[in-house]
Amino acid sequence: MMEFYEANKDLLLFAGASAVKVLVFLNAVMGFTALLTLAERKVSALMQDRIGPNRASLFGLALNGLFQPVADGIKMVMKEDFVPGRAEKLLFALAPFFALVPVLALFSVIPFGDYVMVFGYKFDLQIADLPLGLFMVLALSGLAIYGVFLGGWSAKNNFALLGAMRGAAQMVSYEVVLGLTLAGLLMIFGSAGLQDIVRAQGRLLFGWLPAWGVVYQPFAFILFLVAAIAENKRTPFDLVEGESEIIGYFMEYSSMRFAAFMFAEFVEIILVSMLAATLFFGGWQVPYLYETGFILPGGAQLPLNHYLVSAMQVGAFAAKTVFFSWFLLVVRWTLPRFRFDQLMNLCWTRLLPLALLNILITGAVLLALGKV
Amino acid sequence: MISVKKVDNRPLNFLERLYLPEIARGLLVTTRHFFVNLFNPKGIPTVQYPEQTLPLPHAARERTRHRLKVRADGSPKCVACFMCQTACPAYCIHIEAAEYPDNPVEKYPAVFDIDLARCVMCGMCVEACPEDAIAMDTLEIPGGVLDRNALKLGREALLRNLAGEPSLKGASNRLANDYLKSRGQA
Amino acid sequence: MPRITIDGRPIEVEKGVTLLEAAQRLGVHIPRYCYHPKLSVSGNCRMCLVEIEKAPKLVTACSTEAADGMAVLTMSEKVKTARRDVLEFLLINHPLDCPVCDQAGECGLQDYYMEHSLAKSRFPAEDKVRRQKRRVLGPHLVLDNERCILCTRCVRFCSEVTRTSELEVMERADHSFIDLKEGRALDNGYSLNIADICPVGAWTSRDFRFKQRVWFLKKTPTVCLGCATGCLTEVHHNENTIYRVVPRPNAETNTWLCDAGRMTYKAVQAGDRLAKGVIKNGLIDLEPALRETASRIDEAHGALAVLGSPWLSVEDNAALARLAKDALKTADFSFDFSAEQGVKDGILINKDPAPNAAGARRVQAAFGGTSFAELSAKVASGAVKVLVTEARAAALLKDALKAGGARLIVFAANRSEIPAGAYATLPYASYFETPGTFINFQGLERRTQPAVTAAEGVKPLWAMVNKLAVYSGTSLRLESAQDALKGIDLK
Repeated sequence: MMEFYEANKDLLLFAGASAVKVLVFLNAVMGFTALLTLAERKVSALMQDRIGPNRASLFGLALNGLFQPVADGIKMVMKEDFVPGRAEKLLFALAPFFALVPVLALFSVIPFGDYVMVFGYKFDLQIADLPLGLFMVLALSGLAIYGVFLGGWSAKNNFALLGAMRGAAQMVSYEVVLGLTLAGLLMIFGSAGLQDIVRAQGRLLFGWLPAWGVVYQPFAFILFLVAAIAENKRTPFDLVEGESEIIGYFMEYSSMRFAAFMFAEFVEIILVSMLAATLFFGGWQVPYLYETGFILPGGAQLPLNHYLVSAMQVGAFAAKTVFFSWFLLVVRWTLPRFRFDQLMNLCWTRLLPLALLNILITGAVLLALGKV
Repeated sequence: MISVKKVDNRPLNFLERLYLPEIARGLLVTTRHFFVNLFNPKGIPTVQYPEQTLPLPHAARERTRHRLKVRADGSPKCVACFMCQTACPAYCIHIEAAEYPDNPVEKYPAVFDIDLARCVMCGMCVEACPEDAIAMDTLEIPGGVLDRNALKLGREALLRNLAGEPSLKGASNRLANDYLKSRGQA
Repeated sequence: MPRITIDGRPIEVEKGVTLLEAAQRLGVHIPRYCYHPKLSVSGNCRMCLVEIEKAPKLVTACSTEAADGMAVLTMSEKVKTARRDVLEFLLINHPLDCPVCDQAGECGLQDYYMEHSLAKSRFPAEDKVRRQKRRVLGPHLVLDNERCILCTRCVRFCSEVTRTSELEVMERADHSFIDLKEGRALDNGYSLNIADICPVGAWTSRDFRFKQRVWFLKKTPTVCLGCATGCLTEVHHNENTIYRVVPRPNAETNTWLCDAGRMTYKAVQAGDRLAKGVIKNGLIDLEPALRETASRIDEAHGALAVLGSPWLSVEDNAALARLAKDALKTADFSFDFSAEQGVKDGILINKDPAPNAAGARRVQAAFGGTSFAELSAKVASGAVKVLVTEARAAALLKDALKAGGARLIVFAANRSEIPAGAYATLPYASYFETPGTFINFQGLERRTQPAVTAAEGVKPLWAMVNKLAVYSGTSLRLESAQDALKGIDLK
């Protein structure tokens, strides 16, 4: 036993640390997702001068609706799990997993902090530091189409199938734009590893401006945001399925299977927010905060404890994520919906040429600066 | 009256066709509402019904929960003529008539049920009543219950006089008044 | 033959026809309270006043006989004014009882007021004459003198139709009121007709009183099955409950309806209605009851007899005949009922209390069978082991059954009908719930119409017979009442 331990000490340590990271990070994400379902309703309520859900209570304690996600969950579990008689039973059961699992898997490549030293060991605050993380992101988000299409097709319902067709067309189209907008970043930072990209954003331009992605590529950021919302199938691009008025691909789903699709959508919000923060807003970087503490542009220093620095970095990442999640909610409850032809038109005749133009300009500038 | 609204149909200018500035403007409006309401929830006009109610405007006072008026001897003014049940467009009134052995009014409602879950609060029953026996002036707004049966009102739940009643003013039933006088209750 | 014109339309009538009847033939309705086609003319209500050209005063249409050359106006201004005034006059002392009055909705005063007056009364309500209110008179009626307009229809009904003369107008002038003669009771057996003919709410039925407002009632034309007379009736019902039965006046049989006939509907919604089978004295579900009955029939090995019933419709009797002939394969069945028929009291009630003896004879003509006496003798001799019949018909064989000791299988609608000693009883839908053909003592075909629906599982008798036959191994192929009627000449 001890021999095995001695021989594989590093491996065991890596496995244990990874398990802890997965548990902590994914649980944080899940908890935040549950809160996000509440936030969606509360934010929309406040924007519309309403109060929002505040009745669900535990032992008479309502806490202004904090238990609403619990009540929703119980309700979902209690509902009848209906499977249409002519459905493809296996695929019908698998589709919710296809919707949820790729999204959850994506969190493994997102760095939520720099590193932390525990008992002399250095732990990266990222579940898996893949050198090609960015491509992993694009690949897995492409997989999410399976959830949509299998859900729509296996139900053997014409309306669900039509919804799935719309969804697949939309996701395939915006996938292209999403990839191309990120190409500019790739060229600038010269790495496809997300941790590398974040670290590269820790530098300063002109001695005072944080070298965040949005500074290099403001235009790509807007394109990314649009494409990501479309990829996420949220308003103003929610014509794949609109809760009350458009029949969508999961119309035959009920109970927890339906909840899985809904949950996937909210997890995607978090994912998009994290990606936006990671790629364009410095990830866990706090301006002027380095490993040893704050170093302001004037040269003033404020040395800080390593753990405090790490906590601040993780906190900064969380704050950025929360901000973008909130921003996506606000966008949803502000904008009206596109028509399908407008949606496709926007993608292929506006966003795609603009994305290509962005790459061209980025390349030209890099060439002119002699960075290639 | 047909009102005419002139719509400004000028073509969009370049900035507007870009969408982004307009989207930003829209976001600004909603965000302002969000933060104003977040830090000043008192400004939200939502009323937490049924714990909290608003004072009713005058016209609405005549369209609140029903009541059956009571004579001085405790009997209902209603004579079970079925006019309200006939007039009711929602079929929410159910009456079963019975006969008094002594009272010369002869007829009274042994059962008088109103299903508020069905009622549309139109007030036709009040209009139809020839005895001025049913009224909708309790100022209670039905609803906000956890059990559907709580909206079913029986005769005892409906029988209620407001302050100052019963008075013979407006009492249309001569037989009832004579009977009460003969028993010294009027 | 006098030729007259009414509102400009010419008509020629026989001598002695009144203006009101002549107008009726032209389809002109002249309002009336005291006039009734089957009662003598009284002419006291003045509602039927019409104008005759060149006559100095208005005349009552009900009492004026048509004379050659009369030009009658029923809608002239003078007539309209007269109607309005007569109504105001009648309403001076009429109490404001409409909310509690059962007549509301079918009241002559309400109807004519809406049609001919709509005027506000010029007399204060407090000065209305007070009279005796609610008073129970007889087993079926309540009298309210205050509502009475003294048309005397009720008085004339009692003296002319029932010839019992219990009622009289007491006092004189504006003190007059309707009252029972001293020492008399209003129990002549036709008293509920008074509630029908009373144009206002003075006479109301104790049975119908306060049960339902008349405008909620739905009306189904049907036939009274109280006796062989077969009066045409109308059943008034609402939400699957029958509230009253009233006559449907016709030239052939009846204008009125007896009190007993009006009460026949009570059995339909009585508490002892059968919805399940009865074996000996225990209630049992229909299917096991049928199975048990069928096995008793099989046990008898052909020693079976079937007796039809004059209380059942032609269809149901025919179904019983088919059961005997095709399923039980016995020659011992009888549809021979020969009770004396004819109107007993000179008004409506028949000597034969069963409604369909004539219909049973039609079944006999089509299917044959033995005479009632032969069947009775056979049952008494003990050669019959099982007898299938209807509950009330079983009473006709009471003595023979006692002597022969046959097992009795009966069809009954109510538990109280079941004769003592019946082995098995099967329920069936009454004729308020299912259509049926009857033939009355005059030989006229009478069809009942269903007014209400039977309890779940309770089927017409022919359908029950069909089921019983299936349980004992033969299909009679009775899919509808029409199937049962095949081959029977109703004429």
